Amino acid sequence: MGSRALLLLSPAFRSDHLLISHFTKYGFHQTFRQMEKIRRGGVRDYSVHSSLERPNVARLAETARISLTPQEAEEFAPKIQQVVDWFGQLQDVDLQSVEPAIRPDTEAGSFREDSPETFDNREAIIAAIPSYEEPYIKVPKVLNKD
Amino acid sequence: NYRPPFDATAVKKLKESGAIIVGKTNLDEFGMGSTTEGSAYQVTANPWNLECVPGGSSGGSAAAVSARQCVVSLGSDTGGSVRQPASFCGVVGLKPTYGRVSRYGLVAYASSLDVIGCFGSSVADAGLLLQAICGHDKLDATSSKREVNDFTSQFISKDYFESQPLKGLRVGVISETLGDGVDQEVISSIRGAISHLEELGCTVSLPSFSLGLPAYYVLASSESSSNLSRYDGVRYGNQIASDELSSLYGGSRANGFGPEVKRRILMGTYALSAGYYDAYYKRAQQVRTVVKKSFKAALDSHDILISPAAPSAAYKIGEKKNDPLAMYAGDIMTVNVNLAGLPALVLPCGFVKDGTTSLPVGFQMIGAAFDEEKLLRVGHIFEQTLQGHSFIPPLIADEFKS
Repeated sequence: MGSRALLLLSPAFRSDHLLISHFTKYGFHQTFRQMEKIRRGGVRDYSVHSSLERPNVARLAETARISLTPQEAEEFAPKIQQVVDWFGQLQDVDLQSVEPAIRPDTEAGSFREDSPETFDNREAIIAAIPSYEEPYIKVPKVLNKD
Repeated sequence: NYRPPFDATAVKKLKESGAIIVGKTNLDEFGMGSTTEGSAYQVTANPWNLECVPGGSSGGSAAAVSARQCVVSLGSDTGGSVRQPASFCGVVGLKPTYGRVSRYGLVAYASSLDVIGCFGSSVADAGLLLQAICGHDKLDATSSKREVNDFTSQFISKDYFESQPLKGLRVGVISETLGDGVDQEVISSIRGAISHLEELGCTVSLPSFSLGLPAYYVLASSESSSNLSRYDGVRYGNQIASDELSSLYGGSRANGFGPEVKRRILMGTYALSAGYYDAYYKRAQQVRTVVKKSFKAALDSHDILISPAAPSAAYKIGEKKNDPLAMYAGDIMTVNVNLAGLPALVLPCGFVKDGTTSLPVGFQMIGAAFDEEKLLRVGHIFEQTLQGHSFIPPLIADEFKS
């Protein structure tokens, strides 16, 4: 994967018509073959992506506020690594001068008037609160870390 | 045991039209998965072969209609979660244009991709369901103000069809979807569908097609990592008590989310972190632009585009469970449509032999934005004129013997 990616890259940065020709090299077949290679665990060439650090599962779990058991962290790391490697395909394509699209933008989008309305089923909302002491939703103390 | 305090707009509209809500169906939790093996409850069996999956994430909704437990059902489609199970279960699955149906009340997975979709055992039923739920909703800022036509008036009996009802229809077959990596029998079913459409169906090439898959998973996992941060055990859901807030969050979330959901949140957190945003999320957004443009160009010169709904028929339960990438690969036919926000209709067109049983295969028709009417018209005509196939699972065939 690494060496092939390098081969694709060099002509890419020199040509204007690269966008289409690049993509045609990434046929269906390529997608499946590449996934096969990654799944077999034989490909670990970071030469193209060396500037990006590998995912640190423990740190990500802390950021995402999910308490992973050590076993889970160990099980997840290779699977997450595999998928992130696979994401790496996005690095190999020239996307210069392509605007990012935040949504499909199929003419959707309108804001309603900013006028408050009272919700008519507060009891049901309150009934769902795990720890409630009227009128407070209870949470434990926040530990000051720094 | 959570009871929502309000009805989703789509459900509210159904009740107002007189629909009888029979119940709720199984799915891969939070919409993340393609088999229902990610359900918090159980795996749903495919009515065509109980050892096979119904697809996902809206597998329960597809299976329920397939087994005729209900007439129609709703699902949600973020990367194919209505269309792929429709194909696996031999039913009609309709994904509307992004913005066509209000998402108020839909649990958000990836807000730039999610839509509510319809299942039915016929195109007319799926279309009727869509008619009931679409339209602008002030409670969903992404819902379109576009007028909704009457889709249902075109579901006429085939006795009234013109002699060549699809004459002049410009069909484009996406060439990248009929090559390597796709089951041979699926390809022949699709080719059968194409010739049934009585069109040579000139081929169309969408070169960016396969890059949509990693782009989709970057966007979906990133957006979901943000959307699922609300599940913190404080205002609803199961709370794992703790002395301290961070571990209350950590414990409640660890307890509440299954492994696939956790992994996607972690991947999304990674892709959005400082230093990686440009490399992943932003690039995926750029791929979205390329995908949108290539579909638009193809749909400027074609009425509809065709592809299989999935590269294979239903897998056996357990086959892909421990292999996330293999699971993701199955979404190749559907994700680009979500990136572009276009409508698509899947209907059954053939079968694949699986030992002694047959598994259904669906083909996908993709239309231009807000062109559900055309998709439904073509789908209805295709279905009504298709000879030699009945899509009733053997399991319940006895009830249909006259």
